Amino acid sequence: MQTAAGVVLAGGRSTRMGKPKAWLEWHGSTLLYRTAAVLARTVGGPVVVVAAPGQELPPLPSGVTVAEDPVEGLGPMQGLAVGLAAVADRAETAFACSTDLPFLHPAYIRCVLRGLSPGTDMALPVARGFRQPLAAGYRTALAGLIADLLAEGDLRPGMLFKHCQVAQLSDEQLLADTAVMRHDPTLESVVNVNTPEEYAAARDRLPPEIVVECFGALARNGGHRPRGVRAATLGAAAAAVGLELDRHVVAAINGDQVTRDESLPLVVGDTVAFLSADAGG
Amino acid sequence: MTPGGFFGRALLVDVDGGEATGDAFELSERVLRSYLGGVGLGTWLLHRLAPPRVDPLAPEAPLAFVFSSLVGTPLTTSAKFAVVAKSPLTGLLTDALASSQFAIAGKLTGHDAIVIRGRADELSVLLIDGDGVRLEPAPELAGLPAAEAETSAKSRFGRNWRTAAIGPAGERQVRYATISHDGRHAGRGGLGAVLGAKNIKAVLVRATTKVSVADQAGVLAAARDLRRRSFGPATAKYRELGTLANLLAFNAVSTLPTRNFTAATFEGAPQLAAEELHELRGVARNSCASCSIGCEHIYSRKGGGSQRMEYENVFALGPLCGVSDPDDVFAASARCDELGIDTISAGGTIAWAMECVERGLIDEPWLRFGDGAAVLRALDAIGTRSPGLGELLARGSRRAAEVVGHDSIDFAPQVKGLELPGYEPRSLQSMALGLAVNARGADHNRSGAYEADLSGELDRLDGGAAHVAAAVGTEDRAAVMDSMILCKFLRGVFDDPFTDWARLLALVTGWTLDAGELRDTARRIVRAKRAFNLREGATAADDTLPARMLETPLELGSGRSAVLDAGRLGSMIAGYYAARGLDEEGRIPAAGLDDLLLDA
Repeated sequence: MQTAAGVVLAGGRSTRMGKPKAWLEWHGSTLLYRTAAVLARTVGGPVVVVAAPGQELPPLPSGVTVAEDPVEGLGPMQGLAVGLAAVADRAETAFACSTDLPFLHPAYIRCVLRGLSPGTDMALPVARGFRQPLAAGYRTALAGLIADLLAEGDLRPGMLFKHCQVAQLSDEQLLADTAVMRHDPTLESVVNVNTPEEYAAARDRLPPEIVVECFGALARNGGHRPRGVRAATLGAAAAAVGLELDRHVVAAINGDQVTRDESLPLVVGDTVAFLSADAGG
Repeated sequence: MTPGGFFGRALLVDVDGGEATGDAFELSERVLRSYLGGVGLGTWLLHRLAPPRVDPLAPEAPLAFVFSSLVGTPLTTSAKFAVVAKSPLTGLLTDALASSQFAIAGKLTGHDAIVIRGRADELSVLLIDGDGVRLEPAPELAGLPAAEAETSAKSRFGRNWRTAAIGPAGERQVRYATISHDGRHAGRGGLGAVLGAKNIKAVLVRATTKVSVADQAGVLAAARDLRRRSFGPATAKYRELGTLANLLAFNAVSTLPTRNFTAATFEGAPQLAAEELHELRGVARNSCASCSIGCEHIYSRKGGGSQRMEYENVFALGPLCGVSDPDDVFAASARCDELGIDTISAGGTIAWAMECVERGLIDEPWLRFGDGAAVLRALDAIGTRSPGLGELLARGSRRAAEVVGHDSIDFAPQVKGLELPGYEPRSLQSMALGLAVNARGADHNRSGAYEADLSGELDRLDGGAAHVAAAVGTEDRAAVMDSMILCKFLRGVFDDPFTDWARLLALVTGWTLDAGELRDTARRIVRAKRAFNLREGATAADDTLPARMLETPLELGSGRSAVLDAGRLGSMIAGYYAARGLDEEGRIPAAGLDDLLLDA
């Protein structure tokens, strides 16, 4: 069975932002936390953050590991090679992206990973008018090829395309996916923030609309019925319905992992179930 | 000197022929301290009293009602007893716990356990009090539901007798028949069939003595404290909606077994949810004897009457069979109570049969998923062991699959012959291990590893070392709670369980014991259960899950798949064996048998 990993490149210089993008505040945690956590809740395999040599990173979601790039300043292809190599023994494919994608949606990630059909080495979205190699799918076996190209002094992503089988995914192809069409119809998954103004505009947006359900002893007075709220994190969703993620309360997003991580990012279309931590019996 | 809370003896009753005889069987302080009571002491008694490889339905197979030092104290939820025997369903050890006044009256006959052997000449009731034992023919009780038999027996012998009785399914030795009392059931593993095989319709006990505890004032203070804590948030779920609160939550996290484990979410779940039924049908709440939690929730039935509903009977007779009409599920639950059969095994076996019908392996075209009337018809066939389908399904899903063949064992929802409870193993992988290795078979009460899966502290879809530790831990805690005996619904109120339990036991018994000793006791009880099963022929091959769980991924609502293959489960089982000090084949090294006191 094919396992997919996640790779987040965090070692960029953030020149135009003026401060490290990884540390940008995002609804109580950081932009890097959000990106890594969105990958972790989407792919079945490991998630690794690639950092520059000596780079200090903010706290990361549980289970996400760090791979340090041994060489500084060689750009995203170097980070990509390190990241793919770090997960190659545990996953056949990986979704790799930059840190600065505040609206990255799991539906987009899944759609891109499905583009890695047999014989395809890279699923390259061409979305919103640009090629998106930093929001794309890769065979992890490409790590060696990328390292070889870098050793030859070729640092441009475009060179990789000439040496492997690339499946381009157009806007139309991405939007043919019903989940992408429903939850990310303008493909904001690939919108990045490079300047303080872009960051501020993104941060000022309303949190995503999600659905909350409460069960058991948490569902007093008809509270089990689904209700819509706006919340960017699990903690915000809990607060919106008067709950706290303490020892007696846990949550599951879309019927998947059970968690108490208040910083866990939510996205448009999520359904959050709050249940008693002592469920069972 | 006999420790507080104990009498230091069991009563061995022989019902062979037309008369009962009773002999005292000494229980040394060493044995009592090593096994505590309940399930632990029952396991030791089975080791000592069950002939090796005995047919569970043979006269010489013992059936033990086992009490504990806490029974009769004011400690909340302590009015419990264990019924222990070799299971006619699994061929291995089975033990079932129940709560009622039977526990207190049974213990106050002056015994820590009552063990029944032999076979009466005709259908009889067995009466036990401080004056001895006697057998009374009771042909008038034949075919009666347990509750009616209880009423009839009380009217004949007096209201101060407490009764444990079987229904018609027990008389006919349906392999998953129950023993009932005060509307509660010792449900799993076919204990009712064992009693039925002895031609005993009911056991009546009457309190005639008292028992003292080591520190009466200390026990009273502890009881007040425990009662206060039992009203807190850790028991809110049970108090407010009961165990049926699991149903909608489990559906939301893709762990509600549906249509014989072909799915883990059920479109009809909202109709069966406690949250809805409580608003529309909730009529009463009830407690077991000596319990301050009050987890029983009683619902009104369309057309009159009411029915107590729990998660496990609703899951098994509802989603597992594809049934969503609450009145159909209420009716099926009531029918199980009348017949005296385990709802989980009944639902699991019927769901398996429904899938066999779909696949053309059983020619009973009326038996379809989603048809509540078909479930009732199948239950009646089982309860009467009617020729054909009834006789087949009365064996349980494993034995029935052996008859039907065509690889139907691959989707029989059982482990070691015991049907799976309402926890999907693929999406609860600590629980998957617990279900695979537990001595009783697929069981959620002796291995509550779902707690870890639902805690948010590990990845429930990726079983590994943390899941092994969780499964071992919950099995140990269950071993102590089931032996001392306290209701597991209290488990959340103990901040430091082994320390708290040691303190309670010290107050009752007078023993100076600590958490470390109690942890050793837990491991001993778990090991003793395995030792019994190994003696009866169990092997590592029995520690597994149905092929369906290991070969078919489960689609989650999130779009991801839950996968549990044989390699991952095998790796967890190897970790479990290592943690338990077993060899690679799950056997107990000779040194591990030393402290089981099997020759004591």
